[in-house]
Amino acid sequence: MRIKLDKKWIARLVRLPESGMGYQRVDLRLKDGREVKDVAVFNAEELDLADEFARIGIKDVRLHSN
Amino acid sequence: MLRMEPMRTRALLEQPESGMGYQIVEVVTADFKTKRGVVYNAELLLFEEEPRTMLKTASFASLLAESKSSQDEIRSLRVLPRTTASQLVEAVREPAASYGRKTGPAKDTLPEQTKEGEVFKRFSFFADDRRILPDGSLRLGTYGTTEKDAQNVRTGKEAVARYALPDPRPASNRFTIEPHKDTVVQCGVVEPAFDQPGGGIEVLFANGTQPKTVTGRDKIRDE
Repeated sequence: MRIKLDKKWIARLVRLPESGMGYQRVDLRLKDGREVKDVAVFNAEELDLADEFARIGIKDVRLHSN
Repeated sequence: MLRMEPMRTRALLEQPESGMGYQIVEVVTADFKTKRGVVYNAELLLFEEEPRTMLKTASFASLLAESKSSQDEIRSLRVLPRTTASQLVEAVREPAASYGRKTGPAKDTLPEQTKEGEVFKRFSFFADDRRILPDGSLRLGTYGTTEKDAQNVRTGKEAVARYALPDPRPASNRFTIEPHKDTVVQCGVVEPAFDQPGGGIEVLFANGTQPKTVTGRDKIRDE
């Protein structure tokens, strides 16, 4: 499922470096406490998430570090 | 996304891989459309236009379990020979290490400075690219490519392949970057990723660029 990030996450991501042309690799913390690691965010605003995660809501977004 | 029925899995296993763990295939669907895609482990087919990120966010077993069987969806399937498969990614027409003998990703290379009049390009699916500020500068940590390398890219799909972009939608919006002399850049080669071959030159503007250095956009063909 493709989702669009809330404005506050967009505002954070645009200030952070890209991982490649047009995208950033991030780790997500979901509102239920689970973490989803190394997800690509396009244009600091869109990402694909499995349905089971997408419906939960995002608590935090940080750049993925290898 | 389709789960290969056992008969097709057996047939796929008798044919060579296109890369480690996958085969690039051409499929005739039940409604007689010809589509291309990637079969992973001879079991799971993702069509060209489907996002790949689900492969990272869900286990392979769960994707298989959720997928519809190919039985009533596919009329025929063939593994593309390497030469044909490479046409899918025909953006790779220039040797990877042709620019400055860089062989690794840009972030791992030493910073250098741009020359007077040097021009770079950036491809994006998004017309309103958020890395470009209203004053015509690039945000820090933004990627582009050299003007020469961009000449290998004729379509948005080719940009996806050459720069190994995770978003499979065509990056058909092209921006021109003309930074001031001595702007700090790191240049490298895009590594294969997201089922894309990479091989293009990537340029990291670690500190961004100055105002009025980004122009465009011009639109290239999607495919």
